Amino acid sequence: MIGKICGFIIVLSFIFAIITGNVSALSDAIYKGADSAINLSLSLMGMMCLWNGLMQVAQSSGAIDKATRFMSPVLRFLFPDAYKKNNGMGEIAASMSANIFGIGNGATPLAIKAMEKLQENNSGGERASNDMIMFTVLGTASLDIFPTTLVALRRAAGSANPFEIIIPVWICSFVTAVLAVLLVKIVCSFRK
Amino acid sequence: MRKVNTILKVSTLVVPLCIALFGLCLLLSKKDMFGEFTKGAASGMKTAVRLAPTLVALMCAISMFNASGAAEYIANMLSPVCKKIGLPSGIVPFVVVRPLSGGASTALISDIFEKYGPDSFVGRCTSLIAGSSDTLLYIISVYFGAVGVKKTGGTLPIALITMFFCVFFASFLCRIFF
Repeated sequence: MIGKICGFIIVLSFIFAIITGNVSALSDAIYKGADSAINLSLSLMGMMCLWNGLMQVAQSSGAIDKATRFMSPVLRFLFPDAYKKNNGMGEIAASMSANIFGIGNGATPLAIKAMEKLQENNSGGERASNDMIMFTVLGTASLDIFPTTLVALRRAAGSANPFEIIIPVWICSFVTAVLAVLLVKIVCSFRK
Repeated sequence: MRKVNTILKVSTLVVPLCIALFGLCLLLSKKDMFGEFTKGAASGMKTAVRLAPTLVALMCAISMFNASGAAEYIANMLSPVCKKIGLPSGIVPFVVVRPLSGGASTALISDIFEKYGPDSFVGRCTSLIAGSSDTLLYIISVYFGAVGVKKTGGTLPIALITMFFCVFFASFLCRIFF
């Protein structure tokens, strides 16, 4: 799926660049893209090591189990398979709280860790499990309670009240997330 | 206002607090917590390496998409349609780029704030969309790329539908709130 999308974007961009005469900008962009991918991977690597290490510590100290028990009614509804197999709930709980508290780069490594657990439940198949779809779709719905970057941008642009958008953002995020969950549940009930 | 400021301050404390707790754990626990940390960190390293090839392809494609003028063209094409359904046309370039790239969408947010002002209807709409959506293509590729799952089921269409809904709902909320 991602391969097809990548291919589509590349071919479309190439055709556009030829038509609009942006070819030199295009070749610049190719190098820049590859460059920033590796830069991002390197900075992710640092964050991944840190957060994976902290997760391991949190796990063996029992902190994860407590957090999971606290969130378990919600998690049980969202991720029935992981709940049944009792594998990955802690990782999901940690990653979702990271998203909610908006620790930015910390959330991605934790999410990947959770995906790895869900992939174990999926017995390493190439086809996404229902839990994985739910987890990823929720990952794309921004659950962040403190949109710090956004508020900083608004303040920098001279807004009279940079914070005025917070409550509508909460409403919008919440309603969007509920819709996302419903859609995933509906789509998954047709899969098998 | 004062309260929200405090909340934001607390939120910058979350990460240092996590690390401080880790320090305490190192000091007080009887288990070999440092060994646990390095074990986890090593597995993070492996994941990051496995992820890099996906990112190279994806970010090349996105960078090409922005530089070729395709993003701009699609945004121009969509803006009359948006006007008809009640969305301000100023948000269109941002909405097109939002699912693809975090950096480019941040650039477009400050662009819109500069052009229309952060407290204008367009500025507020953009703020709401930015606060309730994310770079979905990047997230989907990274999450599934890291575990080697190729058939992602309905993930992308569901995420896209949710994002479209978010755009409409944001402009609706703006009309109600401000």
